[in-house]
Amino acid sequence: MLIPSRAWAKVSVQLNLDRNQAAVTDSIKLVISVSGTRSSDSVPVIKGADDFNVTSGGTSSRFEIINGKVNSGIEYTFFLHPRKEGSFRIGPAEVIIDGRTFRSNTGELTIHKARAGIARGNLFLTAAISSPEAYIEEQLIYTLRLHRRINVSNISLELPESNQFALKKLEGPQEYQTVIGDHTYQVLELRYALIPSREGEVEIQPSRMHMTAFESSRRSQMRSFFDDPFFSAGQPRTVASESVGLTVLALPETGRPPGFTGLVGNFEIDATLEPASIKAGESATLTLRLAGQGNVNSIPDLKCPDLEYAKVYADQPVLKVETDEKGLKGLKTMKWALVGEKEGTFQVPSFSVSFFDPENRKYLTLNTSPLFLSILPGQKEQVVASAAAGDEGKEGQAKKEVREIGRDILPVHTSMDVLKRAEGYKAGRLFFTSAVILPFLVYLAAFAGVRIKRNSQRSMASIRAKKSAGRFIREYRKKGSLPDELSSAIRNYLNDRLSLNLGSLTAEEAAGILRSNGVSNETALRLCAVLKKIENAVYTGRGNDPCDTGEDIPSLIRQVEKEIR
Amino acid sequence: MKIYVWISAAILMAVFSEMDYTYARTEDWQEIFFRSNQACRADNYQEAIEGYNLLIASGCINGHIYYNLGNAYFREGRIGHAVLNYERARLLIPRDADLNFNLRYAKDRTQDAIPESGPFINNVLFWIDSFSAGELLWCFSVLNLLFWAVMIARLFRRSEWSYYVFLILLVLWLSAGVSFGFRWHQVENDKRAVIVQAEVDVLAGPDSRDTTLFKLHEGAVVHNERQENGWYLISLPDRKRGWIPAKAAEMVKI
Repeated sequence: MLIPSRAWAKVSVQLNLDRNQAAVTDSIKLVISVSGTRSSDSVPVIKGADDFNVTSGGTSSRFEIINGKVNSGIEYTFFLHPRKEGSFRIGPAEVIIDGRTFRSNTGELTIHKARAGIARGNLFLTAAISSPEAYIEEQLIYTLRLHRRINVSNISLELPESNQFALKKLEGPQEYQTVIGDHTYQVLELRYALIPSREGEVEIQPSRMHMTAFESSRRSQMRSFFDDPFFSAGQPRTVASESVGLTVLALPETGRPPGFTGLVGNFEIDATLEPASIKAGESATLTLRLAGQGNVNSIPDLKCPDLEYAKVYADQPVLKVETDEKGLKGLKTMKWALVGEKEGTFQVPSFSVSFFDPENRKYLTLNTSPLFLSILPGQKEQVVASAAAGDEGKEGQAKKEVREIGRDILPVHTSMDVLKRAEGYKAGRLFFTSAVILPFLVYLAAFAGVRIKRNSQRSMASIRAKKSAGRFIREYRKKGSLPDELSSAIRNYLNDRLSLNLGSLTAEEAAGILRSNGVSNETALRLCAVLKKIENAVYTGRGNDPCDTGEDIPSLIRQVEKEIR
Repeated sequence: MKIYVWISAAILMAVFSEMDYTYARTEDWQEIFFRSNQACRADNYQEAIEGYNLLIASGCINGHIYYNLGNAYFREGRIGHAVLNYERARLLIPRDADLNFNLRYAKDRTQDAIPESGPFINNVLFWIDSFSAGELLWCFSVLNLLFWAVMIARLFRRSEWSYYVFLILLVLWLSAGVSFGFRWHQVENDKRAVIVQAEVDVLAGPDSRDTTLFKLHEGAVVHNERQENGWYLISLPDRKRGWIPAKAAEMVKI
């Protein structure tokens, strides 16, 4: 068996936040990815989430075979609703698998005060810029947020066009919820890197979004089945953002270094020489990497001067541009092949580059550290001699195509073993028939046995259902109100009472199941509220502290018993 | 209790008597096989042909016997029968290098240039030509045992490793099953025939007075569409069709 026997041999836990900055009214999506297993002993406990309300967003598992490699994993999704502003370290998340505890990485999250904004109906677009003042070529973030309380589809975007700035799309879009006034909005956030190219006052014209909107019926406040976009045609709608003002400053003249090429942002430079020691006639590679954040498309191509001791052959520079939350990030790699000509040890000239740092409002010049190249005596003559010897060798071993001189058939087979194989072929038919049919018959018998056993267990389950409430109340009185115990006891009660086999159950799911079994909406919501409080305590690591649910749980369960069908 | 003892004794006796018979038959086969091989060595090919045919008639269905029989016919100058027996041997020992070499050589000696063509499914299941139906059945039987064993195990305990093993076995089991099914179908419905007469007229109808459409020569492999009153309706890959007397060709199917 090629498959590892212990699934947790390569288990890893990863915590991912959908963004690192949010307003106090926003919800943040947190995904805990457990790879290397398809089951865990418990739901993850998220440390550092005490100042958030945590709700579960569901669980998904995956299993895939790619190029013969088996990958499996589970993803737990949670939503964090901040209670206050500040900087938080979320995590690590702890997951228990086969009795072992695995911890994830942590994530930084900054919560700002609520964005100043006035709700403009159930569908509107806002635009914001990361700073109202910037230098020429400084990178800013232009953010568009579509707030909606209705379903939309076929969204297209019309961005402002100008020769005073350039826009470049960043990663995303992101979707989350936020609260403005008394309403919860679904927000679609798009981020662009904005690089101004001319000084002066710039007005960024409104952006426009065109879409098909599906507005719910005004006659009824309740969402009906036919509000689904599948059943309604939808209306074309266009929403526009406000225009945004920006003051673009010229780069300062004072302190401008002589070789400044217009690079604005924050950059680093690094040079390597590989190998540092070569023989004359051989080559070493000089690699220069210039990386950073800012107007990366303006990273200059640096030149390597001619060298006395080596010939220089330049390679084509390669620019790799990526985007992240902070904007555009670039890496330009420049390479030169240095072919040694003169023996000795020589210093490779250092490279320098200047840029303007807008945060500190000053010019900076970076230099590479000194590198040395050792050139040893070459072996030119020996190489020639050995090459000649090799050629002679090849001539001595010149091959010719094999020519057929005559043709005939190959002789008869005389081994007596072939007759034994003939016996096996004839005698094997009974065995083959048995090997094909018997295992299936045995499986059928085993399947029937298992089904009969399961049916008898099902009748046992109906007896268990009748006694489930009493059992829950006895357990509650015995063990008290610890959230971990309580969560498991309520889940066991629902599983027993309704003959379910659910491993985990969110508060909303539990309420939904009860409603579908005849329990009134009021009672279902009361149980839902209790479960949410318990869930919040469990997810934030307070599972072993007593929890005040504000409800008399035994009487709530008795009420459920009265109403359940 | 006694009845079980009697039944067991009867089964054991039956098994031993069958073994005894099998043993005796093997002794005979070895004797015939040895003599036929010796006849071949002494260039007495007619005796060798009779010996090998006797083995086959007595139930010794073996690819190597057909191969030797093909060799004996070839030495006798009967290319049609040589090709016929090599083709039969290929159904049982398809990867035998000697056989494939001799078959290719024998076909080179035939007069008619007939392109070889197989069913489309052979291009998809490209490996099935390299295995005999018996080998594929062995393979399928072993995988079938393993597959149902894992299925039974999963009825009682569903672990992660058993799921992966189940998936792998399912793919292998299906591949082996489909391969065996197609190979078995090919062998059981083999419509190929080999011309065993030096030259045969292919006629427009199953009557010797019908028009001659074309001629075929010894060793040509044709497709037999149907048989009527001692006549075969044969066709070639280039869509030529016609009737030949049944005695002019022999079916490859064993």
